[in-house]
Amino acid sequence: MSTAGPPQGAQHRSAQREGTPVSTVSVAAPLVSLQGVSVVFGGQVRALDDVTLEIDRGDIVGLVGESGSGKTTLCRVLVGLTPPTSGSVSVGGETVARQLASQPLAFRRRVQMLLQDAVASLSPRMTIGRTLREPIAIHSLPRAQAEQRLAAILQRLGLPADVTAKYPHQISGGQARRVGVARALVMQPELIVADEPTAGLDVSVQGELLNLLLDLQQEFSLTYLLVSHNLNVIRRVTRRTAVMYLGQIVEQAPTQALFERPAHPYSAALLSTNPAIDPAKRARRIVLQGEIPSVVNPPPGCRFHTRCPVAQARCKTDAPALAEAGEGRLVRCHFPYSLSLQR
Amino acid sequence: MADLAPVTAPTPLVRIRDLRLEASTQRGTAHILRGVSLDIGRGRILGVVGESGSGKSSLASCLLRLLPGNITRLDGSIAFDGTELLGLDEAAMATWRGARIAMIFQDPMTALNPLFTVATHLVDVLKRRHPGIGRADALARAREALVSVGIADPDLRLAAYPHQLSGGMRQRVMIAMALLVQPDLLLADEPTTALDATVEAQIVDLLEGLRRKFSGSIVFISHHLGLVAQLCDDLCVMYGGTVVETGPVAEVLARPRHPYTRALLECEIEDDVQGGRLKSIPGEVQDPVAPHVACVFAPRCAHASDRCRGEVPLPVEVGDGHRVACLRLGEIG
Repeated sequence: MSTAGPPQGAQHRSAQREGTPVSTVSVAAPLVSLQGVSVVFGGQVRALDDVTLEIDRGDIVGLVGESGSGKTTLCRVLVGLTPPTSGSVSVGGETVARQLASQPLAFRRRVQMLLQDAVASLSPRMTIGRTLREPIAIHSLPRAQAEQRLAAILQRLGLPADVTAKYPHQISGGQARRVGVARALVMQPELIVADEPTAGLDVSVQGELLNLLLDLQQEFSLTYLLVSHNLNVIRRVTRRTAVMYLGQIVEQAPTQALFERPAHPYSAALLSTNPAIDPAKRARRIVLQGEIPSVVNPPPGCRFHTRCPVAQARCKTDAPALAEAGEGRLVRCHFPYSLSLQR
Repeated sequence: MADLAPVTAPTPLVRIRDLRLEASTQRGTAHILRGVSLDIGRGRILGVVGESGSGKSSLASCLLRLLPGNITRLDGSIAFDGTELLGLDEAAMATWRGARIAMIFQDPMTALNPLFTVATHLVDVLKRRHPGIGRADALARAREALVSVGIADPDLRLAAYPHQLSGGMRQRVMIAMALLVQPDLLLADEPTTALDATVEAQIVDLLEGLRRKFSGSIVFISHHLGLVAQLCDDLCVMYGGTVVETGPVAEVLARPRHPYTRALLECEIEDDVQGGRLKSIPGEVQDPVAPHVACVFAPRCAHASDRCRGEVPLPVEVGDGHRVACLRLGEIG
């Protein structure tokens, strides 16, 4: 990208925010706030290291990174399945730990997860109806009201009413995905954590699912954290994107600004690998040398310095902090913008 | 890459004609390939794209004649450099595999034997290709092959077992094995799908570099159109066990003629526009058990007419090597 253009990310974001259903709660308070969150497994596996991330109500935030970068651990921390070793996680202004201790069911209704393998997430021994009604019973929701809501959701998702009598093997993959969405919506969540919702989907059907998720976001005032390997999907549907590498967020920025001009060398390399059909949109591939290091024994200094094409002496010893870099962007790099995308 | 195209079109390396593959299943006869005709050019990379169930991997299996036991029909013609592969007996076919035809699989972990070192894998393929080769000579060539696929410390890796290598390194070993064979035809079935983005970039870089060292033809099977556009010379779009469109990659992607190819390209989202509706192709992939009496794409095609629902389209040449199987080609432009 030779013409970086004016930094219009912040502007763009505020323009978009006007169109989103802003809740009556103070706009300033983010729905989700992770502050300096670390997760250490077995005393040495630093799956998450000092992760700070805020998600505004009604926002769609994308999370990208390679295997082992900590995306799934971050999702698990958000839904309360993995407690942070240090740092704090709060949803709706109160910490997840406190909510889990005082009113665990209310918290679980608040945050729902969409799982990657929709078919595998349904029990083969339960009818779809039983799967969908199980949470209603667990949460002791008013029966008649919940049934009504369930019927309305099934209709909204275009699922036939008789789908409830079927077993998972009797429905199509597309229907299974919508059942997964219905299961999450029945709980009237505020936040949906979607872990690779389009992975394994053919491009001919992924649009349908993404359109549905975007419509539902408007209709039900949802907030999404969307994890995906598919950079085209991230660019198209998210408003902010966080890039992870080895357990850390290395850059977070308004999505459009990130794709136009990545600030972190890793972001630049990752974006450059996205193959485009249109030769005019193809970036020159930045091929990183070497393998992704292990989180058990991460490199000293900047974690990316072992593979960074523009690393300098300081990067080997001095770990950079996540710092403001303009346009509503945070970057964990001593020398931001030193590696750029070239077309 | 167009400059690699020969001035006068020589005979293709492989000429596939009306290839039909059927298997018996609990629900009846599954039509896996419904009359595939395709040329694989010499020294060219052919990208095969299509949705799951379109028959792209089955096509590779037919070329290797490695098919499961429930196959009830395999006919048509695969003429490989003048030899009819479908006419060879099993013993003769076995001498082709791993010699003139080699394959790189999607998951290198399951393709490599966990009980053998990298050296054993590499020496074995060499011994198969060159039966008289001595061990020292074979090891030296194996070492050289690892270096050529970008493995930094070849002696260490020769002694390693597959589980001791990363995913990217395993796929490099698979590619090294294929290079040692120097096959006329290399089949690569989603070779980068299981890899992370930056590792995938390394492997794609390697494959591009190999074009100069490798004189054979490559069939690159992928569901990723962008990757195919970047790496391949020719493109073959499959749908429901048929080839709907084929031709030089730049030509097909710039001027797609088949409604399915067009619909597929419209589903791709690589524009910079945020928001807005995403496109998809309504309906579901044709049931393989359904009889082949009409255009397989007709139930999902916006242009389908009664004729499309009652007649099987045959490929028609619309440009230099660009062939399209659509009955309404003339009408829809």
